[in-house]
Amino acid sequence: MATDKTNLQLVVNGILNENPIFRLVLSMCPAVGISTTVMNGFMLGIAVLFVQVCSSCTISLFKNVIHPRIRIPTYTLTIATWVTVIDMVLAAYLPEAYAKMGIFIKLIVAFAIITMRLEMFASKESVNASFWDGIGMGLGFMLGMMALGFVRELLGMGTLLGYDVLGFKPMLFFVLPLAGFFCVGLMMAFFNYIEIVYKRAKRA
Amino acid sequence: MKDILTIIFRLTVACLLAGLVMGVAFIATNKAKKHNIHVNEQKVMLSLLGYSAKNPAPETVAMHEVYRYLVGEGEDLAMGYLLPLRDGSFSFLTIDLAGTFVAQAPVAITAEKVAEAEERTSAIGAAIGAGKAIRYADQTIVVTNNGKRTAYLLPGRFPGFKTFISAILALDPNFSILGLEIMEHEEDPGLGGEIVQNYFKKQFKGKPLETVKKLEVVKTPLPEEYRKALEADKSGLGAEEVAGIQGQYKDNDIYALTGATISSRSVTNGVKAMVKKFAYRLAILDRVLVEQHIATSF
Repeated sequence: MATDKTNLQLVVNGILNENPIFRLVLSMCPAVGISTTVMNGFMLGIAVLFVQVCSSCTISLFKNVIHPRIRIPTYTLTIATWVTVIDMVLAAYLPEAYAKMGIFIKLIVAFAIITMRLEMFASKESVNASFWDGIGMGLGFMLGMMALGFVRELLGMGTLLGYDVLGFKPMLFFVLPLAGFFCVGLMMAFFNYIEIVYKRAKRA
Repeated sequence: MKDILTIIFRLTVACLLAGLVMGVAFIATNKAKKHNIHVNEQKVMLSLLGYSAKNPAPETVAMHEVYRYLVGEGEDLAMGYLLPLRDGSFSFLTIDLAGTFVAQAPVAITAEKVAEAEERTSAIGAAIGAGKAIRYADQTIVVTNNGKRTAYLLPGRFPGFKTFISAILALDPNFSILGLEIMEHEEDPGLGGEIVQNYFKKQFKGKPLETVKKLEVVKTPLPEEYRKALEADKSGLGAEEVAGIQGQYKDNDIYALTGATISSRSVTNGVKAMVKKFAYRLAILDRVLVEQHIATSF
């Protein structure tokens, strides 16, 4: 059952229709814990993008030889391998980037979004489609994290990308993990509302 | 039965493949990674001593590495120090746990090879003879300027929130903290990860030994003027003002990071333990060096 979507549609699907954070509600741990600043969101997003694309392509390539009973261990093994390889390569050849991203990469092994995309998509589709789906999911996750980071950094610390824009701290509460839940919930409601308005407008 | 065999076979193949990929990546990157870490460590050590690219260390400044080992012989445990001597050779000094001199043996190793852990271990093993087990504990770098000790650099590891935090601590000859730099950690970004920020790690700067010995973490908010002094690069405060404010707070406890008390406490306790143990061990080592008339290069 190959997907009938074009490459562009697959990417857009990951960002909008099936956004990992706001629509699929997966990988909530990092979304709540780490999205305290825009930069953190961006870094984790980049890291997830790489691992998602690499793992999706690998699983898609080997989908016919993976025994259905041991899918999950194989996925986990694949993700762990890519995380380790990317970690080692970055540490060796891009030490400056590694100094900033190192801690994010090691977190990824246990991300639900990657395993879920391997199970739902890559294990059934072609390598090409899986590649674009991985890009879409990675971008969707990154943009979601950055949107959360934008709100939380602005309201919690009064800064954006580390620059002081407000000059004061409106609510320190927003930096704490608890506020992550509020932010995710409110933004999810906001995006659902937009969707409803959009659908109504379309029907009318 | 057939299923069991296919599952075992396929999972084994998958593991072997994964192992192969990771192994190849490790071999291909390990050398470059070690090199990067080494270069970075050197840079951090110099910056902790107040030197930078603009203000390079003068030629009279020298770093002398002392490696500490645990020496086990049967049931007995002793401390072993690999010391650089004044004539350029190396010596392995054993001191028992009560602080009395046990033995000294010359170690045949060159200054280039002493940085390699395996070379060092085999050279020491050959020097002290068979029947003794040695285990590497840590290293200390004694910094001298014109032959006078100016600082100690202590690379160390202590438990953090999830895994170990590795850091380098710089002390002056009176064991006051000159600076702290976090080298590697896996604390949560945005929470415990804030330990690398100046407003946390610079709180340790200037604290004398007596204060460090009973250092605790307090959960009161960081005073605004102190934050400005700690983040002098952002707030643009002059060096004199910073020194004034830091002096005012030098006997205070460490202000915890918001939402990361455990990480704050781990670093504080880690630093406390490193300084206390180092001061204790160095006093014993220095006494033995004088008693035995050992001429070290520092």
